Amino acid sequence: MSSSRFVRLVALAGVAVFALGACSGSSSGSGGKASGDSTSGGGSNACPVGALAKATGPVQITFWHGLNRANEETLQKLVDQFNGQQTKVKVDLVNQTGYEEILRKWVAGLGTKELPDLAQMEDTATQQMIDTQSIVPVADCIKADHYDTSDFVSRVLERYNVDGKLYPMPFNVSNPVLYYDKNAFRAAGLDPEKPPATLAEVKTDAAKIKALGYQTGFGLKLNPWYLEQWASKADHLFVDHENGRKGRASKVLFDDAAGEATFAWMKDMVDSGLARTNPDDGPNGFDNLLGIRSKVQGMTIDSSASLGTVSQVLASGEGGGVDLGVGAMPGPSGAGGVLVGGGALYMSKSSTPEKIAATWEFVKFLVSSETQATFAAGTGYVPIRKSSITQKVLADLYASTPAYKVAYEQLLSGKDDIATAGPVIGNYAGVRDVVRDAETKMLAEGGDPKAAIKAAATAATAAIQDYNTRIGK
Amino acid sequence: MRADSRAGHRLRKFGSYAILTVLAFVVLFPIYITVVNSLLRPVDIAARPPVFFPLHPKWSSYADAWNGGHMSKYLVNSFIVTIAITVGQVFTAILAGYAFAFLEFPFKRTLFAVFLATLMVPFEVTVVTNLDTVRALGWFNTYQGLAVPFLATGFGAFLVRQAFLQVPPDLSDAAALDGYGHWRFMTRVAVPLARPAVAALTVFGFLGAWNQFLWPLLATKDDQLRTVQIGLKTLRQTSLNDVNVTFAGAVIAVIPIAIILLLFQKHLVRGLTAGAVKG
Repeated sequence: MSSSRFVRLVALAGVAVFALGACSGSSSGSGGKASGDSTSGGGSNACPVGALAKATGPVQITFWHGLNRANEETLQKLVDQFNGQQTKVKVDLVNQTGYEEILRKWVAGLGTKELPDLAQMEDTATQQMIDTQSIVPVADCIKADHYDTSDFVSRVLERYNVDGKLYPMPFNVSNPVLYYDKNAFRAAGLDPEKPPATLAEVKTDAAKIKALGYQTGFGLKLNPWYLEQWASKADHLFVDHENGRKGRASKVLFDDAAGEATFAWMKDMVDSGLARTNPDDGPNGFDNLLGIRSKVQGMTIDSSASLGTVSQVLASGEGGGVDLGVGAMPGPSGAGGVLVGGGALYMSKSSTPEKIAATWEFVKFLVSSETQATFAAGTGYVPIRKSSITQKVLADLYASTPAYKVAYEQLLSGKDDIATAGPVIGNYAGVRDVVRDAETKMLAEGGDPKAAIKAAATAATAAIQDYNTRIGK
Repeated sequence: MRADSRAGHRLRKFGSYAILTVLAFVVLFPIYITVVNSLLRPVDIAARPPVFFPLHPKWSSYADAWNGGHMSKYLVNSFIVTIAITVGQVFTAILAGYAFAFLEFPFKRTLFAVFLATLMVPFEVTVVTNLDTVRALGWFNTYQGLAVPFLATGFGAFLVRQAFLQVPPDLSDAAALDGYGHWRFMTRVAVPLARPAVAALTVFGFLGAWNQFLWPLLATKDDQLRTVQIGLKTLRQTSLNDVNVTFAGAVIAVIPIAIILLLFQKHLVRGLTAGAVKG
């Protein structure tokens, strides 16, 4: 949708303006005096964890979320539980209809101070949020509170760690998995318990499924996220400066051998009729999943966060005869692994010390082992704590429906390094737009994959540099 | 000879009807398929070949959108805000247009140029300052905060002024002789003559206000005051077993616009022909 892209540009411009404004003075922040450069030391000042004890009445905080309706129910129950089990903090949960809207509202609220105390944002927002200079890095709270993070899945923490500092608190984690119809695999003489692990195997299996009389073998959703995932699986960097974690990213690196191979694979799949594409947004955004149910194709890759509704849809309705299987995301061979997607929680710096302390209490509740287990069991998201899978509610689910465990297990497999931490990019949305357009154009109009990814890289680098120039970096 | 020309005439008529039919199909098909999809099961929406007719319509999607998606609440909010904006825009446009067309005052040309210049400033540019103002007035998360920033537009003043300029000066002289003041001349003579422009402005204003997304999202705190387009977004981000509900929500959101267009189409056309015949 081009209008939303325009608005995104405007939002970016807004970020730039405010970043500059914040640089040029005005110490209006109420959080702490040394709020501008709290890179080291001064942790207790930036995150006044003790302030809650001084509060006289219950502290009211606002929490913006962007989850869908089904998952919102689970979150609301958890918020109610938190509000009921203690009296010092009262959380008001507000649905802001989506991640993009939350970022937009946050940027617009920088000037008016209409900011919530806590906001859930997509994993792509990290650099932009840092650039707004409006957040309390949770690293400061962790330090001030001597909070132990050793139980956290390390790749999840690495995803949000920039220059050695954890900025938001990870909350809801998902990653792409392979969805397939075991019945189609059986009919095609494939082992239903052994889904394809590499892109080459996807092609051979897709050919066998198509030979059964399916329209095609594989549903290829044109989600630019997958290119990042495949780079991570190949253990390659996506952008320079150590994926933007040691200094600001200034150019993309995805047009390397691994990137070329994935572009060539996509083109090969579509050209040979073994894959049908659909956009990753709008009314056709779910065609790849629904196509399994309507037997257009036998497999697809999609977010693990869809598993709950996928199994509901496949279970519903007459006939069908789909036996849903879930496997790890197929990709190029390499020592890497899938990278962390989903959302994380940002604390506002402009809240009062009491509210910041109250928010931190609530954040700790949201990422506790028990809460993460309940949330994961209720939504299909991956728990961010290792001990969560031993909590009864989640252990029961994983035992009865092992498909839910796939996304968690693939997060633990492969190397944990700067490549699998994934990129940090200021203009993340701009880069994704470029990649999506390049893939769509290559597959619709034909064209050399090598040239297509080179052109995409050039445009993506321009988008990054445009953002960097605007915020004066 | 005559038979020939009649055949040619018939052929031409047939040709234009054929083109019109194709165009009507192109325009109506997306609306038709939206309605169809709202009645299908999600799996059938993705079926290939596509389903063009719902054999077993699933009306429950409308109930889901209405109740689960809270469309009723969003519709009420949209109506309040949209009607306030439309009435405000038409009223201010008539007054400003009248001033620019019939009155003499210092800096008239400059002021008009300034009015026109506002057409060049996209709303997104002023969004943050507007938000600041609305908040300073204590109007954040209120109906007036949603409506007041849009009560006057340079476009409306321009449109109505152009229409008023078409009013023959003799009429204004005659009205003056009859003892009409500015207000009576405006309401009795100028506005009725400019009816097509006023009708067009009403439709534009209504459409624009109804379809607003960014401002109602930014200027509200939670879903108490949110409008139908944001409600639609909430539906859209739900999940794949709700795709039909999203379509149902879209149909619900479109109905008021369709009604307004149908109502005003008559006025627009009648106004146009009235002007043409009068000559």
